[in-house]
Amino acid sequence: MSRDELNARALAELDALERILAREPVAEEHLELAALVDSVRGCAMKMRPEFSAELAARFEGRGRRLGAGARSSLHTSRRWLGGGRLAFAGGGAVAAAVALTILLSGGVRDALFGGGSTHGTVHTLSPSSGAAKNASRVLRSGAPSTVPHSTPSLGTPEIHQGAGVNGVGATATAPAPSAAATPGSSFAANPPRLIARGSSLTLASPPSQMQAVANQIVAATEQQGGVVEHSNVDVSGPGSYASFSLAVPSGHLGRLIATLSSLASVRALNQTTQDITSSYQGENALLARRLKALASLRTQLATAASATAAADLRKQIGAVEHRITIERATIARLRGEASNATLSVQVVPGAAAKKHAVAVSPLTRAYHDALHALQEILAIALVVLAILLPFALCGLALWWAAAGVRQRARERAMRAAH
Amino acid sequence: MTALTVIPDGGPQASEQFEALYRSCSEDLFGYVASIVRDRAAAEDITAIAFERAYRRRALFDIHRGSPRSWLFAIARNAALDELRRRRRTGALLGDVADERAAEELEELDGDLAERRLLVREGLAALDPRDREVILLKFVGRLSNAELARVLRCSESNAGTRLHRAIERLREVCGVTR
Repeated sequence: MSRDELNARALAELDALERILAREPVAEEHLELAALVDSVRGCAMKMRPEFSAELAARFEGRGRRLGAGARSSLHTSRRWLGGGRLAFAGGGAVAAAVALTILLSGGVRDALFGGGSTHGTVHTLSPSSGAAKNASRVLRSGAPSTVPHSTPSLGTPEIHQGAGVNGVGATATAPAPSAAATPGSSFAANPPRLIARGSSLTLASPPSQMQAVANQIVAATEQQGGVVEHSNVDVSGPGSYASFSLAVPSGHLGRLIATLSSLASVRALNQTTQDITSSYQGENALLARRLKALASLRTQLATAASATAAADLRKQIGAVEHRITIERATIARLRGEASNATLSVQVVPGAAAKKHAVAVSPLTRAYHDALHALQEILAIALVVLAILLPFALCGLALWWAAAGVRQRARERAMRAAH
Repeated sequence: MTALTVIPDGGPQASEQFEALYRSCSEDLFGYVASIVRDRAAAEDITAIAFERAYRRRALFDIHRGSPRSWLFAIARNAALDELRRRRRTGALLGDVADERAAEELEELDGDLAERRLLVREGLAALDPRDREVILLKFVGRLSNAELARVLRCSESNAGTRLHRAIERLREVCGVTR
């Protein structure tokens, strides 16, 4: 039965009851109810004066301490569960998670320190990867780590100490200057390495700018101490095309690629390195053996017993000298390969270069990195939520069930007590 | 009926609010608890426990879920029922414990009044526990119907209905006619 369904008499009696409890006068017909209330209240136990005084001293004094800001240890522990402190702790946890995520992602670190950790690791870029658009930035900022400052001049082999990598397409790691300069260190244990480098770069430029780009490629190559070994520039409308075969001191290869990447959109970049140390050493050893054999033959020639024997020795000496010339040429070629890197540049028709890709500011980079970090945080939060939500729901259901069971047990206890 | 509206978590008003709650509720709360457990010593303990818990949990009090008075009575009710459960588990004696102070009070009353109170006491004892609790919360605890609903965990209209029926049954068992 709802309150609306109560009859008017019952409603009047309930209203009268409120007035009785508020010690307000009621109609004569409700005096019986007032007497009933008085009897029920009279049946209730009254507090002993001693207990009343004790309780008053206990809680009124505590109330004053509460007002003065005093807190018991239990109070303090409860307060730690308060909403404000929970919010504060939650905010701190979120801030810590943000900081940890940023550190892990390395996004802001790259923005602050120039992304040194990623330099020299990008060897093949394609337009689909998206990284090609930023190749100029990467290579420009990465040039100091891949190209020694004391780069050798053209014709001088670049000798890398220790960390050379065999095979085409492997990572070319520049030696630490201290390792190369320290006498008696690993330099003696590890022979000098000769690294041959080759790269190919594909740029996209509007046909109208093809000639200008070609001229800038030549100028940039000469500026870096390189030469144009071969070039083919065809400026004929939409089908304009340009290709170059460049040779540049190995130490300047990175800078040149960075410069060329800023001239147009980078479609592809492929860098290869090859360790030719073993070939170089093998040729040197062969040369030494042939020089030794040549000396021996000349000694034998000086003491030849007959003209026939001398003629035969001269013939052998000629053959050895020819071999020695070939070995020296091979050695010179290997030294040339190590000292000069080759760069093949193709310029194809395409859209104009996006300026922002090459001129992005550190602030913009930091902004994008921060956005990336926030995306990672959101992803982590979703994963954590997906893990915790079932447990939280189970816990909530258990708590709700336990509270219901406890309440029913209380009701049973009340019924059983009387 | 309920003077307090908010129990602040701290500050200069906190002491006044908590002391006012104590002064306005302590006597009624004790009477209500004593009617449930029927033991003065246990009622004193439970009353003290109820105020202690209210003091500890004051940060969790939500004014939107009821008045401080109903909140305090709900705490006391749970504590009293837990005491009954404990007694039930331990096999403690249940039932009225002789209360000398109540007997002295009855002796001091006029004959008719004393007889009426005895009649009502017996009528309360004969009532269903749920009906008796509603009457005690209303008459002794002086809770409004909304506060009654909060303590009994039911709707306000349901509390009013239960209260009216309980009064009718008390009248029946006491032989009171209107």
